[in-house]
Amino acid sequence: MTNVAKRLLEFRDRTAIAGVGYTPFTRNSGVSTLTLACRAVLAALEDAGLTPDDVDGLATHRVGDSAPPTLVGPALGLADLSWHLDQFGGGSVSHAVVGQAALAVAAGMAETVVCYRAINARSEFRMGGTGRGVPASPEVQYQAPYGFFAPPQQYAMYARAHMLKYGTKAEHFGQLAVTQRANAAKNPRALMRTPITLEDYLASRWIAEPFRLLDCCLETDGACAVVVTTRERARDLRRPPVSISAAAWGGGTSHLSGAAADPTVTAAAALAPRLYAQAGLGPGDIDVAELYDCFTYSVIVQLEDYGFCAKGEGGPYVASGATSPAGELPVNTHGGFLSEGYVHGMNHIAEAVSQLRGEAGDRQARGAEVALSTAQPGYILPATSALILRRA
Amino acid sequence: MYRPEPDRDSRQWWERLAGGEFAVQECDACATVRFPPRAFCPACRTEAWRWRAVEPEGTVESWIVNHQPFMPGFQVPYVVVMVRPATVPGCLVYGGWRGERPPEPGERVRAVRIRVDEELSLVDWIPAETSERADIHPFDRKSSH
Repeated sequence: MTNVAKRLLEFRDRTAIAGVGYTPFTRNSGVSTLTLACRAVLAALEDAGLTPDDVDGLATHRVGDSAPPTLVGPALGLADLSWHLDQFGGGSVSHAVVGQAALAVAAGMAETVVCYRAINARSEFRMGGTGRGVPASPEVQYQAPYGFFAPPQQYAMYARAHMLKYGTKAEHFGQLAVTQRANAAKNPRALMRTPITLEDYLASRWIAEPFRLLDCCLETDGACAVVVTTRERARDLRRPPVSISAAAWGGGTSHLSGAAADPTVTAAAALAPRLYAQAGLGPGDIDVAELYDCFTYSVIVQLEDYGFCAKGEGGPYVASGATSPAGELPVNTHGGFLSEGYVHGMNHIAEAVSQLRGEAGDRQARGAEVALSTAQPGYILPATSALILRRA
Repeated sequence: MYRPEPDRDSRQWWERLAGGEFAVQECDACATVRFPPRAFCPACRTEAWRWRAVEPEGTVESWIVNHQPFMPGFQVPYVVVMVRPATVPGCLVYGGWRGERPPEPGERVRAVRIRVDEELSLVDWIPAETSERADIHPFDRKSSH
């Protein structure tokens, strides 16, 4: 075993998530992202049984659309943060934010870090470009002149490549959408709780073929936060602690212009072995998975790249019922971005914590002791991130 | 329509395109070809390179049919294709579809030059077997060495 691997073993389960907090999810919050961030941070601290005076670190990620720790700290009267992180990036870095907070806590740089994501993704800054124009990136000049730049277009392009290569079907995407809506129906926080059928899915309007409306995630105003501290400290707090068994990020090359060997493989394929080795676990040990679902297809490709089924078998794996609440791997038990709300990844981490605490109510997965939660799998930025969490 | 904003890495590429040439970079040291334009060869990490005009041909890896106008100036439905260029197989390029029928998986396609104005041309794609059409213009096949 290399020295690096030994050091990583010391990181395993050293830190824990001690609290989660949310604002309501809406289509128009009516308040600033700064206000949303403060509300979610305070809610997460309340959940943990802590106060703002206990906080010595704040972390977030954003794409120029939200309040950084240097605003949220002073707004909550936090005079001297010993550690903070303002990570540039969208959904691909959502889980890296929590991973880096865990590193800071494990290293002793901070003892209590609140990680948050606050967005007005419907009323102010819509990710699809509507109302904000084309993002600033050197890649854009080779795509946007052809009317191609928004995430549903990019993911639809890769989804069709997968359909052509492996025979993945619209019905596979549809089954995911239907199951996640049924999960959301059991989640009081979810924005979309009216059940849908496969016929509803197939009848929903085209956005960018092969994607229909019901392949696409919601656009949501809201915030979500989690409290990261040492496992020892978490044991003394109000809620059942959930330890961070592994945190990994990186993993890929760009699927935009250049350097894309195979558009049906994501950065998760390179990252997953590192993640599992860090936790000392494999895909068969995962009891519940909260997988980044900006679109239905992203779940299917991650089921393959995180090793739950063979490459190309993601569609049939879903069709088998494996990802339903009664299946071997319940996926997106909260309804995900498709039906709960789109808070860019943090709400997937918070749902994993609720499941591992056994506090998910009607949507509780049976025997949930180990959870995988993942970020955008790296089609847009050439990297992803993920966490393995377990009941401490 | 979105007008591309060339940067310091890409300006010459856009200028050559406007002049009717479909070019990629070729590394002086190891001859690896690359796109989009970048200072460094990702294979041998050296900077020296030259432009190489290539046959603007490839194969269709995927396509989408857009049913909503993601930006002004596009009439729905419109098709965008993802093409793997024959001469730069490690890379993918995107462009509009000018075929008179939908694309087919893996089919051979060639680029056509869409001349926007004196300073800007774009690259769309048609089936390789398409005969000459009044509304489409092939790229020059001349070498630029």
